[in-house]
Amino acid sequence: MFLQFLFISSAILTLACTVAVLVTKNLMHSCVFLLGTLVGMAGLYATLGADFVAVTQIMVYMGGVVILMLFAVMLTGGKDFVSRAQNLLGLPASMGNKWTYSMGIFVGVVFILTNVKLLSSIIKTTPTKTIGNDFPSTVTQLGHLLVKDHVLAFEISSVLLLGALVGAAIIARPRKQN
Amino acid sequence: MNQTVVSYLAQYEFFDFLVAIFKNNQSLLSFLIYLIFALLIVGMCATIGGLGTYAERKISADIQARIGPNRVGPYGLLQFLADGVKMIIKEDIMPATADKMLFYLAPLLCLTGVFATLAVLPFAGGFIMTDLNVGIFYLVAISSLVGVGVFLGGYASNSKWSMLGGMRGASQIISYEIPVTISILAITLLAGGMGFGTIVSNQGGLPHQWFMFHNPFAFLATFVYFVGALAETNRAPFDLPEAESELVSGYHTEYTGMRFGFFALAEYIEVFVVCGVATALFLGGYNIPGLDIDILPLQAIQFTIFMTKTLLLYYVVIWIRWTFPRLRVDQLMSICWKYLTPIAIFNLVGCAIWMVAFNGKSIAELVFGSH
Amino acid sequence: MMSLASYLIISMVLFVVGLMVMIARKNIVAILLGIELILNAAALNFVAYSRYVTSNLDGHIFSLFIIVVAAAEAAVGLAIVIRFFQIKETIHVDEATQLRN
Repeated sequence: MFLQFLFISSAILTLACTVAVLVTKNLMHSCVFLLGTLVGMAGLYATLGADFVAVTQIMVYMGGVVILMLFAVMLTGGKDFVSRAQNLLGLPASMGNKWTYSMGIFVGVVFILTNVKLLSSIIKTTPTKTIGNDFPSTVTQLGHLLVKDHVLAFEISSVLLLGALVGAAIIARPRKQN
Repeated sequence: MNQTVVSYLAQYEFFDFLVAIFKNNQSLLSFLIYLIFALLIVGMCATIGGLGTYAERKISADIQARIGPNRVGPYGLLQFLADGVKMIIKEDIMPATADKMLFYLAPLLCLTGVFATLAVLPFAGGFIMTDLNVGIFYLVAISSLVGVGVFLGGYASNSKWSMLGGMRGASQIISYEIPVTISILAITLLAGGMGFGTIVSNQGGLPHQWFMFHNPFAFLATFVYFVGALAETNRAPFDLPEAESELVSGYHTEYTGMRFGFFALAEYIEVFVVCGVATALFLGGYNIPGLDIDILPLQAIQFTIFMTKTLLLYYVVIWIRWTFPRLRVDQLMSICWKYLTPIAIFNLVGCAIWMVAFNGKSIAELVFGSH
Repeated sequence: MMSLASYLIISMVLFVVGLMVMIARKNIVAILLGIELILNAAALNFVAYSRYVTSNLDGHIFSLFIIVVAAAEAAVGLAIVIRFFQIKETIHVDEATQLRN
């Protein structure tokens, strides 16, 4: 009952915000709608019993990525936001024009048709029963998995994060313009 | 399975009686119990947030040898109600060039982020909404919504003061999240779990059983956490996002009426929450000194102990505000990145080594033998 | 209501919309938004399959790594965006035509 409610509301939040990311004219609003999508995704993870993944999703995206994107939008305002509107939908230039939109819709339709063809065979044989008991704590098992079976990937991801940290700092450091 | 307030009450006989009243409709009963507890906790914390403004003014008056608010009610105690009514009936003004949607959204994001943390705050052994097994991680994650709210509030107002305040606030909050989270990580190492129930039950009522005095590194981590938490809640001496002398009032300059009230309420409740987390993590939480049993009537005593420790910390926060001058922006960032973060990482490594070297024993256990 | 199929459909919508955002937008930050959506769609699929098909938690591990990689990618990508803006004074993706500088 409660799970059904959580599932339906998170699914609606996710889908509505995802579509809003696509159609909104303002990049700042796009970022905020992306935040809504990610929160809805965390709710979907919770309905799947993935408590640790859900909280990690909130932690990384809400506390990090979205704020970073908002900062990037603000630091790169410039002349793109002065309305060089290109007719269709009255969008600013950098938010796409009618050619890019029709291209995107075409690709989207092709992808949806392909996926429906693939999914229709999956849905016939889809399991509706979950495996395992209802809500086990995943934290202990995840910890064991991370330092036993997947320790190489864990270490590589730590190196990747260090590389990203140093690389981002080096790329974005202020330099003399020549 | 996470322990919740419902599963706590279900151990007792009167719960069967309640189930019988509701004609065995247990889900409705659980929903009602959750609803009542949620309303209780939110109402209590909103009152504490309101009384926080009163305490702030009264304590500052005491420090500066003034009298402070004394007209409304006995000792001016009802001043916060008068303030609240004033805020509700004030006109709601929005700047003409503001970003309307984000302007409405920002205070609500702040308030949501703070109130969502109350779900896992351990007021007493059974008086905790839900003892998630990712409790402290959830709390840190969901409270980062405040940073988004502050940033959007600054952006949407379309004013220079607000913009600067919002950018300062967001960068300050995401920077200081790092030392705070690493300090918390050291404590989860000691406790062996991230749920608040696990963390608190691994401590004892007496000071030598607290995690603060578990080992020297945890002692340092306490102070790192407290300084970082001050910065995360935008309290002095880290209140740069709303520095009056430079930025009028920072990210909420353009907000009036109840929307401003939401920001203020969120700030005061967040101070309460971080003090409660400090109590639960470092100061023994709700444990009763020298008593190890857990029965229903003792909940009141546990609750009193938790609130006493938390409100003492709350007093310290206000005391710090009226004692120390404000930092500069560059000093703020260098304190975070050059001092607090290395110290926090040192504490984490030190705690891990201590746990391996002394088999998880605290200093008191090593010196006096097991208690 | 709650079955593997519904999660797959949600994930498909996320993926398609992410792709459309990447194609339709000309702003680099907006393209990064689309990449985030696509990565999230993949992570949701992993967790859903781990819940409904296999009985272990490998899917959770995979989505954790996806989140880590997405965060790293966002940090480096946005750093490049800011550097690009310092040079070109725009973040229109059609302006990114040279590898030097």
